[in-house]
Amino acid sequence: MRTSNSLFARLMRRVGIVLALGAAALTTAAWFYARTAANEAYDRLLLGAAFQMSEGLVVADGRLRFLLPPSAFELLGLAERDRIFYRVVDPDGATLTGYPDLGPKIDLHASRGGPVFSNGSYLGVPVRNVTVARAMSMPRGPGWAYVMVAQTTEARQALASELTTRAVILVGIMSLVAVIGTALAVRYSLRPVGELGTALRRRDPQDLTPLKVSVPSELSPFVTSINHFITRLDERVKLLQRYIADSAHQIRTPLTALSAQVSLIDEAKLAPEDRRHLERVQSRTAELARFTNQLLNHAMVIHRFDSIQLAPVFLNDVARKALRNAVPITVDPDLVVSFEPADEELAVLGDMLSLREAIVNVIDNALRHGAVARLEVHVRQAGDFGSVDVLDDGPGIRPEDWPTATSRFYSGRSDAEGASGLGFAIAAEVAARLGGRLRFRQRSESELFCVSIELPLAERPS
Amino acid sequence: MRRTLIFAFAAATLLLPMLANALEGDHRIFPAKGSETGRLLIHGATDLDAMQPLIADFQDRNPDIAVEYTDMVTNDLFRQAQQICAAKAEGADILLSSSVDQLVRLANDGCAQPHRSAETMAVPDWANWRDEVFGFTFEPVVFVYDRRTVPAEDVPRSHEALSNLLRSKAEAYRGRVGTYDIAASGVGYLLAFNDSRQAPTANGRLLETLSRTDTVIRCCNNEVLGELAAGRISLAYNVLGSYAYAAARANAALGIVLPRDYTLILSRGALIPSHAPHPDVGKRFLNYLLSARGRGVAREKSFFFAEDAPLPDGVDGPPDLMQSGIGRPIRIGPALLAAQDEVQRRTFIADWMELIRKSRTDR
Repeated sequence: MRTSNSLFARLMRRVGIVLALGAAALTTAAWFYARTAANEAYDRLLLGAAFQMSEGLVVADGRLRFLLPPSAFELLGLAERDRIFYRVVDPDGATLTGYPDLGPKIDLHASRGGPVFSNGSYLGVPVRNVTVARAMSMPRGPGWAYVMVAQTTEARQALASELTTRAVILVGIMSLVAVIGTALAVRYSLRPVGELGTALRRRDPQDLTPLKVSVPSELSPFVTSINHFITRLDERVKLLQRYIADSAHQIRTPLTALSAQVSLIDEAKLAPEDRRHLERVQSRTAELARFTNQLLNHAMVIHRFDSIQLAPVFLNDVARKALRNAVPITVDPDLVVSFEPADEELAVLGDMLSLREAIVNVIDNALRHGAVARLEVHVRQAGDFGSVDVLDDGPGIRPEDWPTATSRFYSGRSDAEGASGLGFAIAAEVAARLGGRLRFRQRSESELFCVSIELPLAERPS
Repeated sequence: MRRTLIFAFAAATLLLPMLANALEGDHRIFPAKGSETGRLLIHGATDLDAMQPLIADFQDRNPDIAVEYTDMVTNDLFRQAQQICAAKAEGADILLSSSVDQLVRLANDGCAQPHRSAETMAVPDWANWRDEVFGFTFEPVVFVYDRRTVPAEDVPRSHEALSNLLRSKAEAYRGRVGTYDIAASGVGYLLAFNDSRQAPTANGRLLETLSRTDTVIRCCNNEVLGELAAGRISLAYNVLGSYAYAAARANAALGIVLPRDYTLILSRGALIPSHAPHPDVGKRFLNYLLSARGRGVAREKSFFFAEDAPLPDGVDGPPDLMQSGIGRPIRIGPALLAAQDEVQRRTFIADWMELIRKSRTDR
C-alpha cells in the first residue's frame, strides 16, 4: 500500500498557504493604507501651515510685505522631528524669503487652481512639498504670489510604519487563531476516519460480519464498500470450506473402495518388483485417507466454532478419549504408551469434539513422526491454565522451526513421507479459539520432547 | 576653464582653514591636565567666565582632553557656522549659543548631528529638538535695577509696571534704562521677538515708553550690566538671569526682579556640528553639560538658576516659577525658525529700531 502524507497535513498545508497569501495581501494593503493615512494626516498640517504663511503676505505702501506667523511653524512642529523648509515667491517670480533653492522644478502656475502636493528631496533628504498660490493686488496690477512649504518625512514614515506594524500584529494574531482553529476543526472532522480505522484494526481476523460503525455521510461509501467486500469474502470463504468438506467427503468414499480393492490384490502372485510397487500404493493411499480426514476435521472444527456454544469440558476426560482414538489397535507393540491424568478434574470452557480432535492430531503427529519407544500423555495444571502434554522420545522439532510448525502443510522433516499435515495447524487453531496456545518444549538429557496444549481453566464450579 | 576651476578649488582649500581660524573674539586654550589624547574645540556665545568652571570640572574628569574655547557674539558664531556647514569644512566640535533660534536653523539646514545618550534622555522636551539641539541651562530673563537710584517703591515687578513707571516718571528715568541692541545681539533679538509674541499689546506699549525715555542700547548683556554697575543707568530690561546674578554678586547695589506677569526662560543651546572634527569628544562634553554633575556645577558657579531648584538668594521673583505658569520657556523647536526668517528678522529689527530711536532723532 502506498501512503501519501496524512489528510491532516494536506489540509493544514493548503489552509496554511491560503492564510499566508491572505496575510501577505492584508499586510500589503495595510502598508498602503497606513502610508495614505499618514500622508493625508501630515498633508493637512502642511497645507494648514502653507495657508497660514500665505496669510502673512500683505501689500503695504505699494510693497509686498511678509510676516511669517510662528504658529505656522508650531503647526508643522507637531511632527516633532521633521525639518521645515519654505520659500515665498513674489509676483515677479523672485524669492522673497526662505530657501531660494527649494523646489526649483515645481511648476508654480499649477497651484493657482488649488494646492499642489509633490514629493521631492532637499538637502539630500526626502521631503513632501506643497505649493499654494495667493492672488495679490499689487500697485502695477494683480499678480500671484506663491508659498512653498516642504517638510521632511520622518513623522510620516514613523506613523506609517507604526500603523503597519499594528496591522501586521493584528493580521499575525488572526492568522494564528485561524491556523489553530483550522487545526482543531480538521482534527475534529477527521476523527470518524480514525474511529473507522480503529474499528477495522480491532476486528478479529476471523470476523467476517459487516461493520457496524456510525460514520459521516462522506465516509459511508467506504464503509458500504468494505461491508460489501466483507460479505463477499465471507460467502467465498464459506463456499470454499463447503467445497473442501464436500470434496473430502466425496473423495473418501472412492478412496475407501480403492484401499479395499488394493488390499484384495493377491501379493503372492506378484513379482517382487510389483509387490514393492503395491506397498507404495498402499502407503500412499493411507496417507491420502488420513489427509482427507484431516481436511474434513479442519473444516468441521472451523464450522463448529462458528456455530456452537462453548461448554465446560474436563481435560482428563477429553485427553483419555483422544488417546484412545489416536492410538490404533495395530500400534507397534514395542511402543509404550502411558497416560497420566491430573489429580483433580480440570475444567476448561470449550467444545469436546474440537478439543479431542486437536489432542488426537498432536498424538497422531507424535506417533507418526516422533515416538520410537515411548509416548506419554500428561494432564496437569499450570497456574490458571490446564495443560495437555504429549511427550515422545523422538528427536523433536528444532526450536527455529517452532513458529512455522503450526502453519498449514508444514513438515518437520525433509523426507516427505506422510509429512504434509494439518495436525499442528488444527491444534493451534483450536487452542487459539479457546483462548489458549500451543507450546513446544525442547528435548533434553532428562526430559522428552513435549508438545502442550494450554487452555485457560474455567471458573471452578462451586 | 579647467585651470580656473583648479585655481578656485585651491583657493577654497587654502582659504577654508583660514576661515576656520580667523575667529573673532577671545580664544583661550586650556591644556590637558594629564597627557593630551584629545582636543575639544568649542565655539561659544557664552561668557568665558561662566564656562570656565564647567570646562575645569570637565577636565578634572577627563584629564586627557585639552579644550580650545573661542568666545564669539551669537551672530558671528551663527554666520561662521553656516559658512563652515556650507563648505562641509571642519569647524568646532560643539557650538554653545544663547541664541537657540540660530542653532535650530542650523539643525534644520542639516548642519547638526544627532546624539542620544542617558543624559540626553533626561532633557525636558522643550529643550531638545531632534536630539540635535539641546538646551543645557535654565535662565530666566529678568529686570535688573540699581538700588542706589531706584527707590524701593519704584521697583517694577511686571512688564506693565515697568511701562507704567517709565510713563509716570519719564523724566527721572530718561536715558537711564538699558537693553540689548537687537540688531547686534542674536539673543537680544530672540528675546524681543518672544516678548512681542507673549504680549503683543503690552509689549508695544512698553517699547513705546522705552523709546520715549531714550533707552540706552548696548550690544551685549555684559555691556548693559557694566553701564548699570557704573551707575550710568538705573534699570536694565531683558537681561539674562545668569549674568545678572553674577553681576549682583559682585555688586550688592544691583537687584534682580523676575517679572510676575510672565518671565521668559531661555535655555542656552548646544549643538554638535555635522562635520565636527572630534564629534566623540564633543558628545562627551555635551553629556557632561547635561549630566547631574554638570548641572550642579552650572547652578553653583556659572548660571545659578535651575528648573528643579529654588531661586537663588536675593532674587525677587515668584516662588514656583514653572508651576505657576509665569515661567515661559522658549521652546527649542521649529517655531523658532519663524524668528530666523530673513524678511521677518529685517522687518522686526527695523520696526524695533524705528520705535526705539524715534525719540533720539526727535532730540
